[in-house]
Amino acid sequence: MSALIEVRDLKKYFKTPKGNLHAVDGVSFGIERGKTLGVVGESGCGKSTLGRVTIHLLEATSGRIFFEGKDISQIGGAEVKRYRQDMQMIFQDPYSSLDPRMSVSNIIAEPLRIYRKCRDEAELGAQVGRLMDRVGLARRLADAYPHELDGGRRQRIGVARALSLNPKFIVCDEPVSALDVSIQAQILNLMQDLQAELDLTFLFITHNMAVVKHISDEILVMYMGKMVESAPSGSVFAERFHPYTKALLAAVPVPVLGGKKERRLLKGEISSPVNPKPGCRFAKRCEFATELCSAEEPPFAEAKPGHRVACHHVKSINALA
Amino acid sequence: MSDTVSMKKRGQFKETWRRFTKNKGAVIGLGFIALLAVCALIPSVIAPYGFDDQLLSRRFQSPSGAHLFGTDEYGRDIFSRVVYGCRISLTLGLVSVTISCALGIVLGCVAGYYGKVADNVIMRVIDVMLSIPNILLAVSIVAALGTSFFNLMLAIGIGAVPGYARVVRAAILSVKEQEYIEAARSNGASDLRIIVSHIVPNCMAPIIVQATMSIASAVLSAAGMSFIGLGIMPPTPEWGSMLSSGRAYIRDYWYVVTFPGLAIMLTVFSINLLGDGLRDALDPRLKS
Repeated sequence: MSALIEVRDLKKYFKTPKGNLHAVDGVSFGIERGKTLGVVGESGCGKSTLGRVTIHLLEATSGRIFFEGKDISQIGGAEVKRYRQDMQMIFQDPYSSLDPRMSVSNIIAEPLRIYRKCRDEAELGAQVGRLMDRVGLARRLADAYPHELDGGRRQRIGVARALSLNPKFIVCDEPVSALDVSIQAQILNLMQDLQAELDLTFLFITHNMAVVKHISDEILVMYMGKMVESAPSGSVFAERFHPYTKALLAAVPVPVLGGKKERRLLKGEISSPVNPKPGCRFAKRCEFATELCSAEEPPFAEAKPGHRVACHHVKSINALA
Repeated sequence: MSDTVSMKKRGQFKETWRRFTKNKGAVIGLGFIALLAVCALIPSVIAPYGFDDQLLSRRFQSPSGAHLFGTDEYGRDIFSRVVYGCRISLTLGLVSVTISCALGIVLGCVAGYYGKVADNVIMRVIDVMLSIPNILLAVSIVAALGTSFFNLMLAIGIGAVPGYARVVRAAILSVKEQEYIEAARSNGASDLRIIVSHIVPNCMAPIIVQATMSIASAVLSAAGMSFIGLGIMPPTPEWGSMLSSGRAYIRDYWYVVTFPGLAIMLTVFSINLLGDGLRDALDPRLKS
């Protein structure tokens, strides 16, 4: 089966007074219809930028994006508007992603108004009502304003707005990280139900390993704009090959009384993403780094079938044949 | 439960009105403005004398039952002139503020939203305008276009544009970084739609404050213009020119300047109250 959305060697550089900031640097992935790709990495590694570039909220510096087999990396203007119907986004902060001066019903109705999906106000009202039911928002909240609602309900509004145009692909930019834990589970379950029901494809950006394990089919680990490891979800949680992924997963606390596990503290400083030096970007913090690492960029190659890693020493570190 | 969800059109107005009426000061302000509006619409019914009925034998009479606010140096009834002056002063304040508001919002939006070259060009022109004293700018505009009531309002309005443009631009710079603007863009909203339905409503508070404050200065600038002969020509009653002509008699006949001055003060005061009330009533976050 071919991928619904595919990205090849995507790059996004921001111009800064000091030079080019390499936010996303050569990322490639493909997501099949109905599947979820989880993108994880620490703050500032380019996850959010990747999501925004993928759906044309930011212009890519280079690279190609294919949606349903069509190259959409060079489109502009009216075509972008047409593709926006198929590609939506759920935002991180439900407090700032909803216009405080619009009522709930108007927020959800806005995309429908922009694309003139409804003939009259009555049809619009009916459609908004159905969307509210679908995401589990009581209809009596239609006239409320976002500030009157709690974080979970606000995020449901964001989900309803993203669903209103019947998109095929949704970029979820840390949709639960601003919510408290009990609400996180509700929203995640809602999103999974909707995915199954509507055959949605997600690009799910998060830094929360538990969340990504729960929702993803595939996982892509990013570090400073580069892909460092990608594999099916179960595979990453069973065995990880890149030193950074190992450190990332080792940082997840274990909820067991008296439970102890090996700690891997990362030492060293994060090097600057502005005009990065050649070589592996993780080299400065990596306990296994050699001269080769700071001289030459590691290839993103298969370490096992379906499991790709960008590390020169993947074999020696992990005792692979 | 009905099948549809209300899309809130009339309900919103009712809700705003309810919040507005909760604010006592704002209601008082609105009441006074309404009173002025009545004076402006039907001055001949309210005023006991004509605005230019002169009778030199009754010059400088103190306020009494016959002349509520007294009479001026030509024996004209000051109360009647204040009532007739409503029309001129109110129109002048509102129209000039509307002109500067509209221009300032458009310029501020373009500068703040598009940034870069547009921002630099617009803001440098605004800086140039700010370096010219307001009264001088107004004088040159009226001198170029000719003396008329509309040109006076235009001149005063243009002089106030830089203030609006700066306030609007600053407000937009903070609002446009909000995530809901990006959300609107990802929903396919055009720039115009984003500006009109998301950015401007969220910038209303400083705009309303600026507008209510500048009505006062518009009335006073008009007085200044009348004083140098480029504004309202006598005998047309205008509060500012009544003030400046009464200035000469202030030591002997206090009422000649006091009542037009009070009229300006109360108008400005009630417009400020009204503006504050409006700002709060239009903000759904302050609902309670």
